[in-house]
Amino acid sequence: MNQQGDFVRLLREEGYQFQPSPMPHVPTETLSPAMTQGTTVLAVKYQDGVLVAGDRRATAGNIVMYDRTEKVLELDRSSVIAIAGAPATAFEMARVLEHSFKYYRRSQLQDLSFEGKLRALTKLLKDNSPAALAGTGAVAPIFAGYDSQQQTSKIFFYDILGAEFEGVDHAISGSGSPTIRGILHYLNRWSEQPLSHYDEEQAIVLILKLLVSAAEFDSATGGINREAHLFPTMKCITEQGIVTVPSDRLRMLFDAQVAHHV
Amino acid sequence: MYEEPYRWVEAVSNRRQYLDEQLRHGSPIVAISFHEGIVLATFNQKTPKLYEVYDRLALGGIGHPADLETLRGQILDMAHLEGFQRSPSDVTGSRLMKYGLAPTLKQAYEEIFKAPFITKLLLADLGLRPEHDTFLTCDYDGTFEESTGFGVLASSADAHEHITAYLKAHGKYPRPSLDEAFETALYAWGMASWQQQQDHDSVKDPHPPSDDPTVPLTPDKNQILQHLRDIQTNKDLECVVLDRQTSTPSTYRTISQTEGTQRLASMLDHRP
Repeated sequence: MNQQGDFVRLLREEGYQFQPSPMPHVPTETLSPAMTQGTTVLAVKYQDGVLVAGDRRATAGNIVMYDRTEKVLELDRSSVIAIAGAPATAFEMARVLEHSFKYYRRSQLQDLSFEGKLRALTKLLKDNSPAALAGTGAVAPIFAGYDSQQQTSKIFFYDILGAEFEGVDHAISGSGSPTIRGILHYLNRWSEQPLSHYDEEQAIVLILKLLVSAAEFDSATGGINREAHLFPTMKCITEQGIVTVPSDRLRMLFDAQVAHHV
Repeated sequence: MYEEPYRWVEAVSNRRQYLDEQLRHGSPIVAISFHEGIVLATFNQKTPKLYEVYDRLALGGIGHPADLETLRGQILDMAHLEGFQRSPSDVTGSRLMKYGLAPTLKQAYEEIFKAPFITKLLLADLGLRPEHDTFLTCDYDGTFEESTGFGVLASSADAHEHITAYLKAHGKYPRPSLDEAFETALYAWGMASWQQQQDHDSVKDPHPPSDDPTVPLTPDKNQILQHLRDIQTNKDLECVVLDRQTSTPSTYRTISQTEGTQRLASMLDHRP
């Protein structure tokens, strides 16, 4: 056991490389088959914590590769990553982080601090920068979780090279983000109440509406398909932990408060 | 001088005496399968004996804390590399014991110019269903055993025999509930600890008066319960559960000191 509880170092000692570098630049338009990508993921602070959501579509160019992708992934009992960009790289990042956090907790007999978790993600993104710049593996995730030391929920978002920014009220990433970023800003600033005053149901309904809006203008964002019982992934992060919003509840709220406006 | 076979055998034999002596005061560990999971229980003197190894695996160890840490580190590395490179389903207690811990312990035990590991280990592996729960114990010389229903670590062979006989004779496994598994585990722990204490006393005084009524051969229930009450005053109850019902990948849950103490108090008050 390495005494620092560093799982990435352990992997390296075993010959694993997260991203072999440097990578040659590959213009995206020449990639064949087209790289799988496309997404809208977002995180919004509401009165109990943070609600993190993502659509379910993965695309490769004009092709819809899959409509049931899970883009909001639990890393441990108090933090999630919402992935936008190349799924192959993003899923691998999530797997490395999940194992890193649990390896640290089990070996050091204490949880990794919230700052430590952020730093772990930043390091992975920096390691991935050659692939991101080459156009073969760019990832721009959102990290959200409950900071038990400061007893508050937090949201952070990243660019593809690993620059880290805190989302004070919300964060959005992916190809559908331009559509809804302005809406969120407007609602937070000039609606009857700021987003942080929304209760859980209000926050869920808001996010359903936002993802429907993103899908309206971005073909790489999957919408809601009631016939196929296909709804976005949503997870509530509070002091008590992470709870996935059941799709039955999403369907009920969608039917009651969203569908008739569409 | 150890190149002569006889000397080597003698040295290994001395090693066994040394290790038995070192482990004589080790607090037993009992693990029992129940419908919703596995419970592991022991008492410690401020140094933990139960650890999370992987999503469905818990480790218990008696002996020298530094040796336990070394072996815990080895098994953590193995488990997490395997879980990452293959999948969490491929991380099993059986493989970790047979291809990791046991060979390491055996090698250290037989390398007579180096210090052996002063420890005995128990791995509890939570199955998807109770009948798939497995318990693996490993002695300081690398000898390992696999069992179902329950697993036991005790510092002496006598105590191990007593506790195993008791657990085999009393009830079926898995136990129906955590309450019942907890009580059975603690009662069995009390038996083993009581037996170890008798062994210790008999070493101190190898010729007790044969008709002394205060030295029973097997304890009755009241003696076990009194022994548990006495232990409570100078040791801390340590108890964990591998929870089959949880929705998270990690099933390991520590029972808090408060909850454990309440459960023990309830058991001591109500157990007939």
